[in-house]
Amino acid sequence: MFKNEEMEINLGPQHPSTHGVLRVKLRLDGETITHCKPVIGYLHRGVEKICENQSFFQGQVWTDRMDYCSAVANNLGWAEANEKLFGITVPRRAQYIRTLLNEFNRLASHLIWLATHALDIGAMTVFLYAFREREDILDMNEAFCGSRLTTTAFRIGGLREDLPPGFEKMARKFLAKFPTCLEEYENLLSENRIWKKRTVGVALLSADDAIALGVTGPVLRAAGVPYDIRKAFPYAAYSEMDFEVPTQTAADTYARYLVRMAEMRQSARIIQQCLDGLPEGPVMAKIPKILKAEVNEVYHATEAPKGEIGYYLVGEKGSANPYRFHVRAPGFINLQSLPKMAEGGLIADIVAAIGTLDIVLGEIDR
Amino acid sequence: MPTPTLLQSIAITLIQCVLVVLFVFVVVPLTVFAERKVLGYLQQRLGSTRVASGHIGVTGWMNRGMWKWGRIPVLSYWRGIPGLVADVLKLILKEDIIPAKADKFVFFIAPAISMVSAVVVFAAISFVPGTFFVFPSWFPGLAGLPVAGGIADINVGLLWILGVASVGVYGIVLAGWASNSKYPLLGGLRSAAQMVSYEVPLAISLLAPVVLTGSLNFSEMAQRMATGLSAWGLVPQVLGFLIYLTCGFAETNRLPFDMPEAENELVAGFHTEYSGMKFGFFYLAEYINMTVVSALAAGFFLGGSWLLPFGLQGLVNHLLPADAWLAGPHAIFFVAKIVFLLFTYIWVRGTIPRYRYDQVMSVAWKYLIPLALVNLLIAAFVRCAV
Repeated sequence: MFKNEEMEINLGPQHPSTHGVLRVKLRLDGETITHCKPVIGYLHRGVEKICENQSFFQGQVWTDRMDYCSAVANNLGWAEANEKLFGITVPRRAQYIRTLLNEFNRLASHLIWLATHALDIGAMTVFLYAFREREDILDMNEAFCGSRLTTTAFRIGGLREDLPPGFEKMARKFLAKFPTCLEEYENLLSENRIWKKRTVGVALLSADDAIALGVTGPVLRAAGVPYDIRKAFPYAAYSEMDFEVPTQTAADTYARYLVRMAEMRQSARIIQQCLDGLPEGPVMAKIPKILKAEVNEVYHATEAPKGEIGYYLVGEKGSANPYRFHVRAPGFINLQSLPKMAEGGLIADIVAAIGTLDIVLGEIDR
Repeated sequence: MPTPTLLQSIAITLIQCVLVVLFVFVVVPLTVFAERKVLGYLQQRLGSTRVASGHIGVTGWMNRGMWKWGRIPVLSYWRGIPGLVADVLKLILKEDIIPAKADKFVFFIAPAISMVSAVVVFAAISFVPGTFFVFPSWFPGLAGLPVAGGIADINVGLLWILGVASVGVYGIVLAGWASNSKYPLLGGLRSAAQMVSYEVPLAISLLAPVVLTGSLNFSEMAQRMATGLSAWGLVPQVLGFLIYLTCGFAETNRLPFDMPEAENELVAGFHTEYSGMKFGFFYLAEYINMTVVSALAAGFFLGGSWLLPFGLQGLVNHLLPADAWLAGPHAIFFVAKIVFLLFTYIWVRGTIPRYRYDQVMSVAWKYLIPLALVNLLIAAFVRCAV
């Protein structure tokens, strides 16, 4: 008597909550998602190929433009991958400053995640509160390297310049107020019944599935796997830092929220340690004006705010350009888990799932 | 008091209509403005402070003027007011696009249904019982005639209000259907389910005042609810108020129940395909509906045109002299309560996230309807006991 028809609907590429130009093809039975297929590529610029045609120094500019919310973390991975390729040792002070800026960047990235995720679920005030704090971090970026978003913060071999005068004061001022800001967000969300209803048990991704799909970062840690490259394979100055890797076992959106909030606290802790223990010395290693590679290949992974960002570089003998460059982008690989999270849920859940994955399309499409 | 002729009664009725419509069309833009400013201040920003892109021409003149006056501390809050004018002008002047595959007639009447049903409800709402003011003796033609506090204080006022208000859902459903587009369709379906569901607890929660007062006339109910109940009447009033307000939020599609237009899920929901003044009608209708819901809540639960809410006025009135100003009804109290409730709408929007669609429905059927029935039962007991 009744005919059941499934409706196909395009979520994106122009949609308020697909964080840029993600397009998700949904098949709906009523409001239930029966089939979900992410379609990407709307922001593809060929970053990897472009970098192969440029010198090692120039490539970093492009890493800024991959995950533009965490440019510093991308810069760090790029710089360290190159240093690994050329066997350069970075001065200890530069390592500390890199760690410091990287953690500030993690805060900025997580704040953007919190802001947009909360806005997707309808809590619009958190959005602006989080952006308020992010503004301070961007100001610090500006003080350090002149630009706020696409930082190009580091150089192969160290830093272009030391921290500017007054930076430490700005950082300490920020650290002093940041815990109360975190409490403010948590007051609005953590025990909010509607927030919990929208996130607890939503977009589940078990640890086995997460590992099978290659998911990393807070999404993996929220499934109970304490894998953090900062601890597992320490880089920069992380081996000298005292911090914890927050995990949860519920593997749902709420667990990921808790993990990221805890990570922000840990980041603040690391920044505090960097500021307190900042060693004296030069910030740049001695490197030649033009870097010419040997036949060599490296893979260097760092813990970006969104997960493991890996740079694979192949050098060609006598060439100033990389022969092959590939990025293991955390957002791209994490996005694979979207159908697993969203299928069987409602339309409102896919919005939560996209938000909780913390995707940036610049990095996914590259 | 002279008996009015037919012509005079028509004139008086027209004046009443104009007054009420004026009230609606003053309060609604101010609510839109207040929403921007209050949300702004809740979120530690300034809200609207100027007309966009205006440093030359008329808008530039407005902006310069507003910034000049805004140096006076209290007035600085109103700097964004010209933006409202600009917004309305934009809505009126904008190209009105009708999608090629839309059902043109239905597409056309849907916003009108929403708008008309929202405004017409005000006919039965009385701002102050009895006479609002009397024309002075020097007034040509209407000397000494009274203007009532509402347009039509009919004896089935509540039925009229509920009946007409529920027509408003057709506007949304038809808009969603006629757009011939998927997101509006989903929005329309959601709103059909949601608004029909929430009308049940809303109506039951309003039955409690009916049981308590034994009347359906708005001003009579308001008067008895404010002054005529004993202390026991407090319980069903407070509980009923909370249930009513929750349902009211859902009926007007406001956060946390803004399913039909959940921006982050359905783009703009049922009015995705609308532009120009047709969209403006939906926009206005939403705010007028908010005013209606606030007016009913103010009238039935918050003491109407009397000062104290929840029937407390009746408890303290015997302490006051009978002709004391505070003991009597005043339109200003009624309007103040409406304004406060409108503020509550914005306040809630700034504070909490949105429910999911299925959760919205379960809130209505699993919690609000049983609670509303319990409230009705309590009201019935109170009525029998007193």
